[in-house]
Amino acid sequence: MIAGAWVCLLSPFAGAVAITLAGQRVSRRTAGWISILTTFLAFGGALVAFFGLWATDPSDREQLSTAYTWLAAGDFEVQLQILLDTLSSTMMLIVSGVGGLIIWYSLGYMEGDDEERRYFAYMSLFVFAMLLLVQSGNFLLLLAGWGLVGLASYLLIGFWHERPEAVAAAKKAFVMNAIGDATFALGIVLLVWETGTLEYFGVFEDVGALSTTTVNLVALGLLGGAVAKSAQIPLQTWLPDAMEGPTPVSALIHAATMVTAGVYLLVRASPIFEAASDVQHLAAILGAVTLLVAGAIALVQWDIKRVIAYSTMSQIGYMFLGAGIGAYGYAIFHLMTHAFFKALLFMSAGLVIHHLGGEQDIRRMGGLRRVMPRTHVAFLVGSLALVGIPIFSGFWSKDGIISSARATGGALGWSLWAAAILGALLTGAYATRLYLTVFRGEESAFAKEHAHVGHGEGPRSMLVPVGILSVLATIGGLVVIPGVWEPFLTWIDETAESLVMPTVAEEYQISVLAVALGVAGFYVALRAFRAGRQVVTNSGVWRVLEHKLYFDELYDALAYRPAAALSVVLRRNVEEPVVERSLDEIGTGTIQVGGEVARTQSGLLRSYAIAIAFAVFVLVVVFVAVR
Amino acid sequence: MDGPDVGWYLILAAILFGIGSLGVMLRRSPLVVLLSLEIMLNAANLTLIAFARQHGSLSGQVFALAVMAVAAAEVAIGLGLIVAMARRRIVLDVDEARALRG
Repeated sequence: MIAGAWVCLLSPFAGAVAITLAGQRVSRRTAGWISILTTFLAFGGALVAFFGLWATDPSDREQLSTAYTWLAAGDFEVQLQILLDTLSSTMMLIVSGVGGLIIWYSLGYMEGDDEERRYFAYMSLFVFAMLLLVQSGNFLLLLAGWGLVGLASYLLIGFWHERPEAVAAAKKAFVMNAIGDATFALGIVLLVWETGTLEYFGVFEDVGALSTTTVNLVALGLLGGAVAKSAQIPLQTWLPDAMEGPTPVSALIHAATMVTAGVYLLVRASPIFEAASDVQHLAAILGAVTLLVAGAIALVQWDIKRVIAYSTMSQIGYMFLGAGIGAYGYAIFHLMTHAFFKALLFMSAGLVIHHLGGEQDIRRMGGLRRVMPRTHVAFLVGSLALVGIPIFSGFWSKDGIISSARATGGALGWSLWAAAILGALLTGAYATRLYLTVFRGEESAFAKEHAHVGHGEGPRSMLVPVGILSVLATIGGLVVIPGVWEPFLTWIDETAESLVMPTVAEEYQISVLAVALGVAGFYVALRAFRAGRQVVTNSGVWRVLEHKLYFDELYDALAYRPAAALSVVLRRNVEEPVVERSLDEIGTGTIQVGGEVARTQSGLLRSYAIAIAFAVFVLVVVFVAVR
Repeated sequence: MDGPDVGWYLILAAILFGIGSLGVMLRRSPLVVLLSLEIMLNAANLTLIAFARQHGSLSGQVFALAVMAVAAAEVAIGLGLIVAMARRRIVLDVDEARALRG
């Protein structure tokens, strides 16, 4: 069982190393298969671990396995250890399973790219980093996985490094994530300082003994890391730009790895966040704000991938909301269903982009239903799951989070509930807008030119994963039917006991309301589409949303411009006069002094002798006189 | 102890040293400068031996022997230089040999 977990962790790493070392000796296709097979091997390991855990007695479902002591300083020790419990086994399945499907899909999507081998090595590294993150048994190893995920995303977002936008986007993602990593690391340093350990259970035992300030600071640090990694306001600006990477990379970042890390952290460190309930509520509030803002921005974007990217931000907002009010089971459940339908949406969008020769602007698409019937169905399934239409997976998870907010009650619970339910309306509107613009209506001239019936929709390696994910996005939510069958929630509860549990009646009431609002959003978008106009008609609102609420401009003005101006001032007033000129002056000064001293070297032997004799005479006189 | 007091030896050595150093400082012929140097060295030797005798210790004499060895080596090199200068028809005048002027 624990061996399965180790296989799961190490096999993508082995894949990345193998591809790197093999270099040009293997064909691009072989490199791709190495990556796919090692990731599916990881999935096999995760299955073994999962079912092993399933068969274990519930009291024994937290298994630590230590490879060796990684770091020791006095009493403080950090082991290279993995933790296998209900939460991590679930995450392992999601990461390796969905990750494997996405890499499989890449085989067709990336075919013909010059640097396919590098691509697959990075993908394997990404999956490994995420597995390290979810499997680590202590905070330091978690931080290592955290940083590696940031590195892998940087490499993949900037994969097409000859495009300046891609490089800029990669740098932006890295810097934004580095801010979060810094606060995360500070939180961890504080933890070591106060508790002397980083091992999860040791820390969680000591949390009660810490002062309120300390716990709040630690939780804030961890929350900063989670917010950056999960692209929540205020550190969200990197995610839309990350669309510069290849489409499967976007799918991997959004569905299986990276952005879900923040939610995982909130659930994993739930004892810390529960001790600092203000910070936990802050996470919920940030999630609520993000889900509304991102949903609204998604209404006005023109890039098919950016719309889906904002939808991810919005859905992660739901997960933050859930984790923030203590509905851990539903948060992780939504993470799973979201992984299914978001990977599906990205991959069908990738099929469209692939089919149209790299075009991503939805204004040039339209009427693709006729030429791409299967892609159309897959995209429709993904959209329905996203909006939360019954039966489809998103319905079960999202409504669970909304009704948990309702069950929390109080001013906070009700306002979170209002935001979440309003978010359902926005979700319905932007998902419908995207779907209608791309697949319905008249075929655009551009689509006619590039897309042909019977042309094939893509290679089999792309269609099969999309098909599998379509099935998962449809039925993946059925593991939880409120009041009837809830194995998923009880499973997660063993690791992180949920603080709120909505009653069955509440669940069904909220579901009706949420679905009604989702359908209302659908109707609004449909009417706008029929009338040939946009959902957002006010031009002022449109401009604000199109500029993403001016966050980029704000950070530009707050951080970049002052830093650039300061650099210019320092260059002119410090570097040039002090550093550069002083170097010159030291040089010329030495030469001058040398010239003066050289004049005493007359070359006259007798004058030297006289000087020596005189000096000895003086020394003797001084010696005698002083004594 | 037989012989004159150690003070006399020291006075003699001081006179010899003064003569030698004046020779080094005033004479221009390298040969004479070398001779003067030898006088200075032997003045120092004389003090060493005088003190060795006063204290009845051998170490001063050992030093004197070492100084003699050094002096012999120095004379060999110095005379070699002077012969080389003479062969190249360089004027034997220390004031003229000032190629090391800075």
